[in-house]
Amino acid sequence: MAMRWLSRLAAADAVPVFPVVGENGLAAAENLFLDPRLRPVPSPRHARVLLVLGETGQTLNRQLRRLHDQLSHPRATLWCDAVPDPDFGRATESSDTADAVVEAYRSMFAGAMDTEPDIHPNEPPNEWRGKGTNGQGGDGMMGGTPYGRPMAMTDDDLRDGLQLDAYSATFGPFLPAFPPGLALDITLQGDSIQAVSVSHPPFRQETDHSRTGSLRNLARLLRVLGVPALAARFIAAARKLEDGGTIDLDVLARAFDWSGAMHIIPSDLGSFGGEGRDVRSRVRAWLNIARGRQEPAPLGQPALSFVDLVKGLEWYEAVIVLNSFDNNALRNLCPVENTDDQTEEAPQ
Amino acid sequence: MPALIRILTMALIAGVFSAAILALSLKSTLPITEPQKVPFVGGGAPQTHAWQRYHVRFYSMTLLFISFEMEMMFMYPWAVVYVQEGIKAMVEMGMFLTILSIGILYGWREGVFKWQ
Repeated sequence: MAMRWLSRLAAADAVPVFPVVGENGLAAAENLFLDPRLRPVPSPRHARVLLVLGETGQTLNRQLRRLHDQLSHPRATLWCDAVPDPDFGRATESSDTADAVVEAYRSMFAGAMDTEPDIHPNEPPNEWRGKGTNGQGGDGMMGGTPYGRPMAMTDDDLRDGLQLDAYSATFGPFLPAFPPGLALDITLQGDSIQAVSVSHPPFRQETDHSRTGSLRNLARLLRVLGVPALAARFIAAARKLEDGGTIDLDVLARAFDWSGAMHIIPSDLGSFGGEGRDVRSRVRAWLNIARGRQEPAPLGQPALSFVDLVKGLEWYEAVIVLNSFDNNALRNLCPVENTDDQTEEAPQ
Repeated sequence: MPALIRILTMALIAGVFSAAILALSLKSTLPITEPQKVPFVGGGAPQTHAWQRYHVRFYSMTLLFISFEMEMMFMYPWAVVYVQEGIKAMVEMGMFLTILSIGILYGWREGVFKWQ
């Protein structure tokens, strides 16, 4: 009885949704999460519903399937403006996505809908392999190849040359802190980025250089800066303007100033091509465009490559830099250096 | 005795609630599957094991902080006997703070306050 009561209580809560944003799905996702019945969560382990908004393409299917299996049970997948994978989930109309998500969530807790089973088998991707007869020994900190992943080996730290372990992974393409679709092969030492290359560029989005586009860009940056409530206000303002309404943008700009967001951004971060082209200046430009005080201007050809911009930064700085460009500018900065097949050499 | 009974009663109530919550959590927890054990990096895959050594770069700042915590611990009993002991206590505390200050200056020169 207690369990039924807890299930009813959980079903009445806002639905924890992990959004997977594909081509041209970003604005729709942002608008969708203005609905208080839905709650975006930062990882699949927090989510009960996987919501795919827009086409993600066949090349990233393996990553999407891996993500699906990381959701907690009970779980459901909904596909909006995308062709569903035959193995999991079902399609829904974009006009009633929020209703469909809530219905699926409540059906699961009411027992009317079964959880989606795992796609991958419930076993380690590889056996523990070492040099010894019992799997012991080998190179690295403890030796061996636990479950197909070698132990980290030492490497020079860029900052001071300390020989410490380097951690390499493909981050993205569905990492909430990154623009949708962007996948980077990164080698980290602690929180410092030692090496980076692009394995998948961001998805195309309907880039809008108008006032509303700037508001949405600011909202994305605010979210990664840890000010989600203000980000939601910016999205709501953009939506109201798109619907033909009016809004006092000076009030929003003051809220931005008072949030302290500008002070979180280190000065001269992500600067390229001369003075006044760092993250803070890009943010100020967005604020001015949103308030109608400045005309949108193309970013121009950067003097630095994307790798030069991010290499050597700490993780939080790199995330801020990535979110300080609009989608088109970031796509121009991100030449793909690795194919998708190369990024999938690692075990699941 | 009545106080002991009240304590035991509260302990019993707390124990019953704790046991109920524990039982519910055990019943509702599903085992973590192997795909769920993989670190979440946004759909991508780690190429090396997550078990690794990294440099805790704030450790020197932490050590300095702890030493000053200890200093405060010495200051409380010192404040109690200060009136009785007078100038002698004053000089002793002065020496103690001087030694600590030299440590700070040394740490400052070595860059421990610079966040890396």
